[in-house]
Amino acid sequence: MKFLTHEIGSLAKPPWLVKTSQGRELDPSDIEQARSWGEKVGVEGHEELVETLERGGADVDELNHWASRYCVRLQESAGLEVIWDGEQPRSEMYAWAIDHSTGFEPRGTVRSFDNKYYSKSAAVGPVGLAEPYHNDEFSFLQSVAKARLKIPITGAYTLAVWSYDEHHTPREGRLGAGYGRKSEIEARRELTLDIARNIIRPNLEALIALGADWIQIDEPGASTEADELDLFVESFNVSVEGLDCMFSTHLCFSDYELFFPAIEGMSECRQYCVGFANYDSRELGTSAEDRPGYEVISKFRDLSYDPILGLGVLDIHTDFVESPELVRDRILHAVEVFGDPARIHVCPDCGLRTRSWDVAYAKLQALVEGAQLAEKAITGAAAATQS
Amino acid sequence: VADLQAFAPGIYPRSEALVQATRDLDRGRTTQEAVDEQVERDLAAAVEAQQAAGLDLLADGMLRWQDHFRPLLERADGLETGALTRFLDTNTFYRAPKATGEPRLQGPLDERYVAPLPGPRLVTLPSPFALSFGTGVSPKEMAEGVLKPALEGLDAELVVLAEPFLGGQALDELAEGLEALSGGPKLALWLEFGDAKPALEQGAAELPVDGLGIDFYATHLDDVPDGFGKLLLAGVLDARNSLAEEPRELAAFVAKLRERGVEEIALVPNGDLQYVSEPYAREKLARLGKAKTATVEAAA
Repeated sequence: MKFLTHEIGSLAKPPWLVKTSQGRELDPSDIEQARSWGEKVGVEGHEELVETLERGGADVDELNHWASRYCVRLQESAGLEVIWDGEQPRSEMYAWAIDHSTGFEPRGTVRSFDNKYYSKSAAVGPVGLAEPYHNDEFSFLQSVAKARLKIPITGAYTLAVWSYDEHHTPREGRLGAGYGRKSEIEARRELTLDIARNIIRPNLEALIALGADWIQIDEPGASTEADELDLFVESFNVSVEGLDCMFSTHLCFSDYELFFPAIEGMSECRQYCVGFANYDSRELGTSAEDRPGYEVISKFRDLSYDPILGLGVLDIHTDFVESPELVRDRILHAVEVFGDPARIHVCPDCGLRTRSWDVAYAKLQALVEGAQLAEKAITGAAAATQS
Repeated sequence: VADLQAFAPGIYPRSEALVQATRDLDRGRTTQEAVDEQVERDLAAAVEAQQAAGLDLLADGMLRWQDHFRPLLERADGLETGALTRFLDTNTFYRAPKATGEPRLQGPLDERYVAPLPGPRLVTLPSPFALSFGTGVSPKEMAEGVLKPALEGLDAELVVLAEPFLGGQALDELAEGLEALSGGPKLALWLEFGDAKPALEQGAAELPVDGLGIDFYATHLDDVPDGFGKLLLAGVLDARNSLAEEPRELAAFVAKLRERGVEEIALVPNGDLQYVSEPYAREKLARLGKAKTATVEAAA
């Protein structure tokens, strides 16, 4: 038996890409970073990058490709079986989509938490797609990846709920009038389904035409509004209905209980990648008491269409590196709950963008090693039972 | 209309420069001193924006606060930061308070968290219920152990207690917490971002505070009880929408509040302005000031 291991989405951008993009000078440590990581994870021709960086005046698009190569090899080298490039060429999961769409205007920067922020735009008119915005990235990765690719794309509901809506919100008349949730939901529904039809679906069609066979629809905002979960489901279905591809979705940092029963209607979703480690204990053990962060997984098990669970086993908000044994126990607990190892994939809670490459790499290695330990434990238990 | 005020409690957004400075700090690309200097520039700009708008009480914008609880959790025995938790239905998260023992603030907040201001001021703190939410500690214990020591020595015309979680629950417990805070500066309970109807139906207007804040983008005017006898912090700026309010509409709304018999009114945002970016918050403050001016002129 084998647990499929995969990434979720983002990785930090290397300093030589960040600084060059910002027009800042590189210092020797940046070039050393390119050299040492190139060697460490086996990036073919990384000496060429080092020379380019030493010479100065590198082209940002060229560096984006290099960063993609590094992240692909980093994940392959860590042992993951399904990979992506950590979204290196993308500005960010929201801004990239909005910048390539029509009907939005930027509205500045808003805090996510602590010293983390995100750019936020407003829908100011009918929304549409300027051009399919992941094709170049996907085509390039097809040319360099050795492992299987899975491409993430930010989903319609998250794009809608992370935007201001100046198009559907009345400019006057809301104050003290009991404008209320019903009107807000109606406005959100219009915006969300327009995004699903006019922005997400054409992107999916374009990627499938290029050969994508697994597309992860990222919906970190899905549970933002507890009374809009049906809308999240509807937007997913509108985005993917009738398309020939494996579709999964990524949910994180939510009260996952909220998703039930709404996602019973999301049968086109073949895999849910969900973050749990953030809520879990760091102690070893496979019982329900040992694994408080995973309490809700039985609800995913009981969905009638038998989706796979992408089990988040790495807390991406901390530099704490999970031991392989801790990863193993989280997997074994999930297998115990599901009763079917084939319905468990293993992944981080979310993208590792906020961690250094050192930490991200160590965590991913622990993930792979932990999955292997779990495989051995299950195989060993099965053999013992047979004998 | 001397009983009409305007001010802006809560967390004010950081400028793009401060956003970049704090990002750089996290990535080891700048120093704490450089961030401190940018905080001072942001503070000066926020004060200038409030003064230009003619606001009656100044606020420091809580520019160093990572969320409504953090400095208190870091300075209190028996409390620590817990899981990263979504703030209401926003895309902003906070570290939820976690109790590890009897909560006890080690001392008042220093000038980094309650910055000196050049005029009459307000201070925003979490309400006892919000601070206790999910900790297993009662609002009264939080008030006595943490908030009361934080209030001591504060030179403020008004302390606004931000309360995003109340709904219609636990008003008795909240009342006990608020009682424990009496005897110091004037207090207002600010029911941020949400329909205040359930709380009003449970008697929120009778809570032992001097003022009550209501989000009028979620609450119907008719839900304000007859004979409302406190300072009404009327949430008339929508801090979760980038649309700029029309001062004429805000002034007309003040007239409607008057018709309902509300005498003391303060125009405020319906929650922390940090949910819009700094240029949009500044524009909203300007319009708050214009709304007050328009109301005064209409009355004259």
